[in-house]
Parts: sequence; C-alpha cells; structure tokens
Amino acid sequence: MGASTYAASLPFKSVALDGLSAIYHGASGATHVVAEPVPQILEALGGDTLTLAELLARLGADYDLDDDAEAGLSARLDELVALGLVIAR
Amino acid sequence: MFDENSENEVSGAATDAGRRALMLGAVGASAVLTVRPALAQSAVSVLNCQIPVPDPARAGQYIAADGTVVAPGTVGAFVPAPRPFTGQEVKQALSGLNLPGTSYTQNQAYLNYIRRLQYGQSGFTCFASLQMPGR
Repeated sequence: MGASTYAASLPFKSVALDGLSAIYHGASGATHVVAEPVPQILEALGGDTLTLAELLARLGADYDLDDDAEAGLSARLDELVALGLVIAR
Repeated sequence: MFDENSENEVSGAATDAGRRALMLGAVGASAVLTVRPALAQSAVSVLNCQIPVPDPARAGQYIAADGTVVAPGTVGAFVPAPRPFTGQEVKQALSGLNLPGTSYTQNQAYLNYIRRLQYGQSGFTCFASLQMPGR
C-alpha cells in the first residue's frame, strides 16, 4: 500500500492451463500457478508503469468490473508485489 | 459449396462475447501455487563455481597453447592461472571476452584446457553446468 505506480517484473512467460495460468518469472526462476484475475492484470500492465487508476481504466476497457473493483485490484496488486511479479514504486 | 462468410460472422460474435466480467475482488488466493525449483539456486551457484587452471593435482604445471598440461618452463606454454576462474568469467570468455588478467593467446590456451576437462577433474562439473541451455 502507499505505492503510486505499478509495473510488471519482466521478463515472464505466461501459459494458459485450462482455467489457470502458469507464469514463469525470469527474475526469480519461480513458476506461479495463478487464477484469474492475475494473468489479466499482468497483461493489462504489459511493459508499462501505471497508477492504480490507469490500470483500473485499462482493465475496465476490456472487462466488466465488479462494484468494489478498485479495492480488489489494490489487494491483488499487493499480492503480486509480495510474489515479486509486480514492482511497486 | 462452402459458405465463406459464416466463419467471419462467428468470429465477430465471439469478439462481442469476449467482453466479460473480471472479478478483481474475488475471495480466495489469486496465486494458487508457487514452484521454486532448485534450478533457480543452481543458476546462481553455477556462475560462482570455480575452475582452477590447471586442477590442484597438477598445480604448478604449465598450460600449452592446445590446452594440454606440460612441464613447468616449457617454451611457448603459459604459467598456471594465479587463481581459479569463476563460472561467470569462463562463460564470458566462451562468448569472446578474455579471462581476467590474460593475454589473447594465454586466454586461448586456458580455454582449451577448460574445454578438455573431463569428469573427475576439478572444475569439470562447473564447466559442464555452463553448457546447459539457459545458462
């Protein structure tokens, strides 16, 4: 919390696995098997550094978001930062 | 006859259906499982492993240009490396950089020695690890 921008920790490779995704994270050598909405968040980030609002807007352009999307996205980003897949600045 | 338009109509409909709900606040861990293979650690250790030139069993002997180990003082051969090289240094040398503190021909002689390393000789495992893909 408190971070103003987020960026995906590159490089990573994502492979869809029947509802889940396996994400190989090059920097750590770890493979994370993740569920929605993690692959969608990483895809929306792409190679960019975005604020929470910008990321939310990108996701909103592609998906119908639930009511409490901003708080949810913030919580997911915190989890991704803890995993190392997202870098908060 | 084929109906060439039908496929386009289907894909057009799929695009509309592609906009779907994304549950950002869904309860439950979004990261289901994390696999941290031992490989991740070995990638680090490979670069820090060491290759003595020559191996301690033949310490003090010289390295000929073709990489063979010869008697000390042999004309045209090179003195032993003052310290073992790290996997990282050898990896860089294999891609064109000189080993630290070596001349061009000395570097070639040392690399020839390293390429000739066999199982059981000091540094062989380190050198073999460098050959693995992705290193």
